[in-house]
Amino acid sequence: MKRTIQLVLLCLVSFSTLNAEEARVDYEHQIRPILADTCYHCHGPDGESREADLRLDLLDKVVADGDQRLVVPYHPEQSELFLRISSEDAEQRMPPADANRKLNDDQIELLRRWIEQGAQWEKHWAFEAPQRPSLPGIADHAWVKNGIDYFVLDKLASRGLRPSPRADRVTLIRRATLDLTGLPPTPAEVDVFLADNSENAYERVIDRLLESQHYGEHMAAAWLDAARYADTDGYQNDRYRYQWVWRDWVIHALNRNLPFDQFVIQQLAGDMLPNATLDQQIATGFCRNHRINSEAGSIAAEWQVEYVVDRVDTLGTVFLGLTIGCARCHDHKYDPVSQREYYQLFAYFNNVPEYGVGPNNGNSPPFITVPDAWPDLAASDNKAIEPGPLEFQKAGYGGGVVRPKPGNDKTVMIMHEMEKPRETYLLRRGQYNAPDKSEVLRAAVPASINSFGASPANRRELAEWLVDPRHPLLARVTVNRYWQALFGRGIVVTSENFGTQGEPPSHPRLLDWLAVEFIESGWDVKALHKTILMSATYQQTSKSTAAMQLADPDNRWLARGPRFRLPAMSLRDQALAASGLLVDRVGGRPAKPYMPPGIWRSISNNTYKQDHGENLYRRSLYTYWRRTIPPPTMVNFNAAEREVCLVRKDRTNTPLQALTLMNNVTFVEAARFLAERMMAEAGDGLEARIEHGFRLAVARSPTPDELSLLRLTYEKCLQRFDADPNAATKLLSVGEKKRDATLDLAPHAALTMVASTILNLDETVTKE
Amino acid sequence: MTRQYEHDWRSPRRQFLQMAGTGLGTLGLASLLHAEHAETRRSGGLDGIPHFAPKAKRVIYLFQSGGPAQMDLFDYKPELREKFGEEVPRSVYPDERKTTMTSAQKSFATAPSLFTFSQHGENGTWFSDPLPNMAKIADDICVVKSMYTEAINHDPAITFFQTGSQIPGRPSIGAWLSYGLGSENADLPAFVAMSSRGSGKAGQPLYDRLWGSGFLPARHQGVKFRNQGDPVLDLYNPPGVDGGLRREMLDILNQLNAAKQQEYADPEIETRIAQYELAFRMQTSVPELVDVSNEPAGTFELYGEDARRPGTYAFNCLLARRLAERGVRFVQLFHQGWDQHGQLPRQIRGQCRDTDQASAALVTDLKQRGMLEDTLVIWGGEFGRTIYSQGTLTKNNYGRDHHPGCMSIWLAGGGIKPGISYGATDDYSVNVVDGHVHVHDLHATLLHLLGIHHERLTFKYQGRHFRLTDVHGQIVKDILA
Repeated sequence: MKRTIQLVLLCLVSFSTLNAEEARVDYEHQIRPILADTCYHCHGPDGESREADLRLDLLDKVVADGDQRLVVPYHPEQSELFLRISSEDAEQRMPPADANRKLNDDQIELLRRWIEQGAQWEKHWAFEAPQRPSLPGIADHAWVKNGIDYFVLDKLASRGLRPSPRADRVTLIRRATLDLTGLPPTPAEVDVFLADNSENAYERVIDRLLESQHYGEHMAAAWLDAARYADTDGYQNDRYRYQWVWRDWVIHALNRNLPFDQFVIQQLAGDMLPNATLDQQIATGFCRNHRINSEAGSIAAEWQVEYVVDRVDTLGTVFLGLTIGCARCHDHKYDPVSQREYYQLFAYFNNVPEYGVGPNNGNSPPFITVPDAWPDLAASDNKAIEPGPLEFQKAGYGGGVVRPKPGNDKTVMIMHEMEKPRETYLLRRGQYNAPDKSEVLRAAVPASINSFGASPANRRELAEWLVDPRHPLLARVTVNRYWQALFGRGIVVTSENFGTQGEPPSHPRLLDWLAVEFIESGWDVKALHKTILMSATYQQTSKSTAAMQLADPDNRWLARGPRFRLPAMSLRDQALAASGLLVDRVGGRPAKPYMPPGIWRSISNNTYKQDHGENLYRRSLYTYWRRTIPPPTMVNFNAAEREVCLVRKDRTNTPLQALTLMNNVTFVEAARFLAERMMAEAGDGLEARIEHGFRLAVARSPTPDELSLLRLTYEKCLQRFDADPNAATKLLSVGEKKRDATLDLAPHAALTMVASTILNLDETVTKE
Repeated sequence: MTRQYEHDWRSPRRQFLQMAGTGLGTLGLASLLHAEHAETRRSGGLDGIPHFAPKAKRVIYLFQSGGPAQMDLFDYKPELREKFGEEVPRSVYPDERKTTMTSAQKSFATAPSLFTFSQHGENGTWFSDPLPNMAKIADDICVVKSMYTEAINHDPAITFFQTGSQIPGRPSIGAWLSYGLGSENADLPAFVAMSSRGSGKAGQPLYDRLWGSGFLPARHQGVKFRNQGDPVLDLYNPPGVDGGLRREMLDILNQLNAAKQQEYADPEIETRIAQYELAFRMQTSVPELVDVSNEPAGTFELYGEDARRPGTYAFNCLLARRLAERGVRFVQLFHQGWDQHGQLPRQIRGQCRDTDQASAALVTDLKQRGMLEDTLVIWGGEFGRTIYSQGTLTKNNYGRDHHPGCMSIWLAGGGIKPGISYGATDDYSVNVVDGHVHVHDLHATLLHLLGIHHERLTFKYQGRHFRLTDVHGQIVKDILA
């Protein structure tokens, strides 16, 4: 079979090659990736590994400087570059025979044609500020609803594809509710929408959802992954910290629609703002969410460097969309970021009065004590607090281990500037004990992405530089991440990497349009969400055909609506909401819901003490997050582990997930209470009960076929449980919440199996 | 070709799309739903791998977590008896290489091992007396005394051995193998991890990342068999639901999902149906796998009575053999408790009691079944220990701190030269003086035995082609059969 696949793929490849032959070769999308992948390793930005003093990443400069031999436009046969890659002489040929990277014939041909066409190039697209593109001309004005649709339709038309019709109303309200709040719509909300005949009925739904307190919770969940937020320190014994006040700051900020530029500034440098408020100071906890090592025997200076490295790498991934971390040990191999520039970025974050070894329990300095009344503070009380000085305690093991005194559960870790900044040096090979003392480095941003020539001198100015409307990356990277959450893949698929090795955008002009809209709206995140959700592109049905799947398996061109499995937290929250178990209080201390037996004790020296009562049913973003042993049900559905910043994770579809949805105590208990709701809220008729349960989970009513199949489930199960009441009692005892004892045993157990079947439907676990 | 669909433990949608692309995606749902047990043949993996004929088909890695003291087990230094209590010369052990747990000690007194050593096997391999069973397999194993690492603390050191990097975020060895070589049993994962607690000492913790997939697709991550509760998370039906009821529920669920598939043509739905079926089969196959009650009495004579008790090292060793028999590519055991900062003589005896018999039994058992020749077994921890005593040295007690400069491990089977000792350390068991084997070298050798060129098993992430061996790694040719 493999052979058949290869044959088919071969045909596909040849076909696309034929097609391309007529087209113009694009340097940015076709040539640079080849050079970057194959050649930059030895002929790129990294001075250490550069061979023959040749930089192909600066090919334009090389040629512009008058060296005409390397590339002679229109004349591949005279261009050294082409002659070397196509040479028959093994001595001459590039890449050399012993290199791991090779050029294939197609790539050589592309390079030849590019030179033949005049060897045109431009700067890497992502390093130029986005400009508002004009809307493309389109034929079908009936379909488009806003700017997004012009760009999408234009791309579709160029590929001979057509958009799909609008999804039905129930699908739309479920999709929008899950996307904006992470919870399913209630049957009442669905009914209101279905009964609303006004023009703007859908818009009213969107507006309502954007004002829901659950909006901030759902949006916070993704931000916590990026911000590597957790309740423990992450190394070795992985002991406890108290950082949930910062998490609540995020939820509140998102709910009150804090403009995104402020969202960035306050988290990076709220402590340095004039007359900083306590809220702004708490926001800087973002920079302290990195892991902290308390292992006995650790060298403080080594780990202090790691924390700064983590801050720089996080900045790179989440705000710049660049793999800055590659330049820690050497000049970046592919992007124009030198090792020196890396440590200049490092200098912004190197002035925290911190200690490299953690306290082994509790918050690491600097921290502040948060007033009990927070966040409800009078303006006069909402003022930044001076953190106490770094104090030490001795700890065992021959007196060699020194630890800072920890902050208790009323504190939160924040950023603070040392009076006298640490001196920053380039660290050779990235090692803490190999500083290049020949030069103290001044804080500065990489020249290649500093297109408007700013010179931010400190952390606050760095944050302000990021949100400058002329910045090439921040707005693009941000809108792309929001797009990714809604459509399942970004316009730039590699949402963490907009550099030369990242994937080029599928819709470059749409990306720029969204970025400029976002900036010009005053960085209004809710407005951005509304724009996307109001587009015809978003509202398409996700139904497809085999032909559509074959034409565009990943839905890159958006000829249909998004359809993919819900994220880990939404899956659990949805089950809790549908069953009525959800406790929807916002914020507060983390909760410890059900975990497998011995979850911590089996591989660590701590015991997980499960909560009882309400804390079993809080939204998943409040679940206690231990980094080295994250909640397995969440990880099972591809939740980020929160060890380091993560903005993208693949989505698997596995038997372990099936086992969790069928057997995990959370989901079985939810099925029990979904059944109880079916019995309590839908009268005595079996079909009405099943329909109610179905609507609670997937918003729509079942078809007659579905209804009869679920009826059949009920009847088969009822027979079993009638014959074996003991089994019914056992099933109805899963989980801690007691059942309503007045309900008949066997019907309740049989309906529980129906409810479990509903919760396991592909449709239930999928946003469609 | 009656059934084209290859079940994969963590099947990605891509497989289905390939099927669709070849016109095989339209196979009747009926055949999918009533699939036979998947044959034991390879699924997944990369084209062109193995790069050459492998010596080993699978690996069992017996990780001794905490850092076993090399000079108390394998690295015999009889001359040190004379130096009892003398300061270890600074020229041998410079201050900057000591951890902050001992760097402030006033004295660094030489602590010779108080165990008796004897020679075994044709080549006279040295073993200390707490390892009587390992001594019996001297002719089957290769003891490497010249292993060394760079990390001095547990977390980075274990992470280094398991992922080739001290910094978290890289794929573990098993994930690399799953990615490169795929699985040989579609009903079981390619990579299983298990852990047990040492009786010598409350152990250092382990972390989920040690069997994680890092930046590789998540389906390559190891499945942790739990030592409490369900062996695989949520494996068993809830109380009151038996297999028959589950089957009935699944039949209807499948029909409902199949109708959805008709309407949406999303290959993900087809995958989900298949994964529910695989989950159902696992509900039978995994309990059968972990049920050792039908093993003959001889098995427990070999592995010890501990092997009857889930959660013990001996049980995990027996399970490792059962997993290997079923085609699982990489079995990773962790035994905690080898961190003897104090009370070393007492604690290490406890650790050896936990592991000596079962480790040797596993090698013997594999050999008797003809499986040792294509199964690579590795025994070792994350670093060695200091020759100087941590804390007070007495005639019958001492402790030892972490020591990355040298350590002893052993390997067996799968193309390893049997019955030899390799490499040497200096007179104090501080530095390697002959046959240096770095962590990257061990990884390169492991991959080589599996038929993989370690520089050519790569994954592109963040624009870079990553390898298990980073940019290092030399195959240790001298220990190859």
